[in-house]
Amino acid sequence: MRLAPGSVGWLLRHELRLAWFNAAGGKAADGRRRPGNMALGLAAAGCIVMHVASWFVVRQLAGMPGDDPRILLAVSALLIVAATFMLSSAIKACVVVMFERSDLDLLLSSPLPSRSIFTVRLLGVCAGTAALYLFFLAPFAHAGLLQGQFRWLGIYPGVIALAVLCSCGAMLLTLGLVRMLGARRTRVVAQIVGALAGALLVIASQLHALTSRQTQERIRDTVLGLVQREGAADNPLWLPAWAMLGEPLPVLLLGALTCAMFMLTTWRTHRFFARGLQLAASSPSTAAGKPLAMPLRPRFGRSLFGTVVVKEWRLIVRDPQLLSQVMLQILFLLPLFFLIFKRADVQVQAIGAGLALLCSSLTGALAWIALSAEDAPDLLLASPASQRTVRRAKLAAAMLPVLGVVAIPLLWLAVRMPAAGLVACLVVCGAVSGAGLVVFWCGRPGVRTNFKGRGKGGFVMNVLELGNSLAWGALGWLLSAATLGQLDTMRIVVAAGAASFAIAVPGIAWMLRSRSM
Amino acid sequence: MDDQLPALRLVGLRKHFGRPAVDGLDLLVRRGEFYALLGPNGAGKTTTLRLVTGLLAPDAGTIEVLGVDMTAAPAAAKAKLAYLPDEPMLYGKLKPFEYLEFVAGLWGVAAQDAEPRARELLDWLDLTQHANELTEGFSRGMKQKLALAGALIHDPELLILDEPLTGLDAAAARQVKDLLLAHVAKGGTVILTTHILEVAERLAHRIGIIRQGRLIAEGTLVQLRERTQGGSLEDMFLHLMAAP
Repeated sequence: MRLAPGSVGWLLRHELRLAWFNAAGGKAADGRRRPGNMALGLAAAGCIVMHVASWFVVRQLAGMPGDDPRILLAVSALLIVAATFMLSSAIKACVVVMFERSDLDLLLSSPLPSRSIFTVRLLGVCAGTAALYLFFLAPFAHAGLLQGQFRWLGIYPGVIALAVLCSCGAMLLTLGLVRMLGARRTRVVAQIVGALAGALLVIASQLHALTSRQTQERIRDTVLGLVQREGAADNPLWLPAWAMLGEPLPVLLLGALTCAMFMLTTWRTHRFFARGLQLAASSPSTAAGKPLAMPLRPRFGRSLFGTVVVKEWRLIVRDPQLLSQVMLQILFLLPLFFLIFKRADVQVQAIGAGLALLCSSLTGALAWIALSAEDAPDLLLASPASQRTVRRAKLAAAMLPVLGVVAIPLLWLAVRMPAAGLVACLVVCGAVSGAGLVVFWCGRPGVRTNFKGRGKGGFVMNVLELGNSLAWGALGWLLSAATLGQLDTMRIVVAAGAASFAIAVPGIAWMLRSRSM
Repeated sequence: MDDQLPALRLVGLRKHFGRPAVDGLDLLVRRGEFYALLGPNGAGKTTTLRLVTGLLAPDAGTIEVLGVDMTAAPAAAKAKLAYLPDEPMLYGKLKPFEYLEFVAGLWGVAAQDAEPRARELLDWLDLTQHANELTEGFSRGMKQKLALAGALIHDPELLILDEPLTGLDAAAARQVKDLLLAHVAKGGTVILTTHILEVAERLAHRIGIIRQGRLIAEGTLVQLRERTQGGSLEDMFLHLMAAP
């Protein structure tokens, strides 16, 4: 079908083509861009597995009563979780659309109407937000269709409506931030809000560990009481859940609400979107002339090691995008710290395992920034400085902040429960060292802006980092349990295996260093 | 230090990337000389400079920087030179003073020398008023000037520049040229590549012309003019490029 150049359809086709190549990007031998075979193969395999699994699940749930309040509650909870993650990813997508797409100048200088550009960009955000959820949930709709359980088809309108509503909300929020804060600050704030929205549920999922059993029971009873009340199922709050369950009227109502929201967003805000784009395109990423926080004052004459460490810390602290993503990982540590400081019945196994996993992940992220994402590698290579010292300093710059963050909680734990504290210190040090060494030996050069996609560049590094986290996490759990006297032959064998693996991971990284660096 | 030692001596330098990029290059640059290396795109100029600065390892041949073999003693050789590529090697999230502090640290410059030198260079290049800004907000010219300040922070004996004037406005280009001439006047050596033939014509003591990784002509402007019976450097350059 030929689409008129400059029309919404034509622009949308261009947008989808770009998204397709970016999602499944690959290059043919002649340099032409085409979807990568590996990515397509994995997606196809995943799709088949999901369809097979959903076939059995749908058949199993064939006799399920559709009007059971507990099902309504479960679907609604699922939708809240999905909506939170959708909002998080949509905010990030809006930031990319407004600030990071390199074709803004081209589009703004073309005679295309701003409404077309905005509509297509928003549709792109909606499609990107819905895609992942449809990948996992659409097979249930297909299985339902084939088995004659048509209510499963409600998944399609439910997911798409939720994605559109979240995308419109995210776009309005981003544009609102531009109006209130200006383009430069919006970029930072939106990234942090997006990251926090995603993190909120993970933090919330830890609430059960932070609240007493009586409180948990009280909350459960209250919610069930509300749901099972006479006429409660007719409350409009359940509309999305009813739509997901395939009820025709709620599907229509949700569809109408979604269309209205989309049209209102595009009609009312397209001019401001164009203005926001212009602001973003003309705004430097930092305010020129404005003094910035100086975490470490310049001081000439430091040792080479100190000079490199200070430089790496400055670069990390001053990059809000990186910092928000790194801080997010620290955020996940907070529930563990709460357990250490507040709870009387400290769950030492969870603390040992959790600290090992999170510290390993945090160190891996910082080590990648310091070691792999060097902005001026030629400057370092052209200098007479010892490259070994430079790399060791970078490794230290990645490891020290992590150890600093957990130092006080660990000391407190060691005071309260010396054996458990000692174990936690051991596993944290091991996890941090292992993660740092994996990146040190197997990290591949990358660019800072590609922090989120760093995994794509180094399969070996990723696998080893994961192995390091899991090995030290398991060791943390088992050794902490041992301090409580929970020790049997099986646990000793598993702990020995985990310890061997934890030691083997840096060893493997060292052996692979010449090939993978 | 023996004053008779050349600033740079290349003997039979070779580097292949599938095809020869530098093909048996012999070159000698004297101390205190301003040497311009010219050539068309893909002639091997940048590869030569990257070999000289130790960023690439040669397939064959020797590189001596002020008498120090780059392959045998890279750290000692690198300590004597500075390299300014066409894309400035900066950190966007550092301020100018912090960048100079870092570069001084890499070259091991003592604090009592580095700090006043950094202030002097920033002042000279009109960057003092931007000393509290991150370099990511700098214009191309400001970035290039800061990178040049970084290259000069350790007062190198040999300064190597790849297209240092590309993208600079007239005022910034003048500042850079003045700084290079001052460096040579103090006894330093400058080797630069440029596409702006007028720069080579006005600044360089000697000019080398490279094609397909080989030096096809070398000498002062007068010597080159005699050899090609040409008028301007542009005429001579085009004449040499057209020759079989």
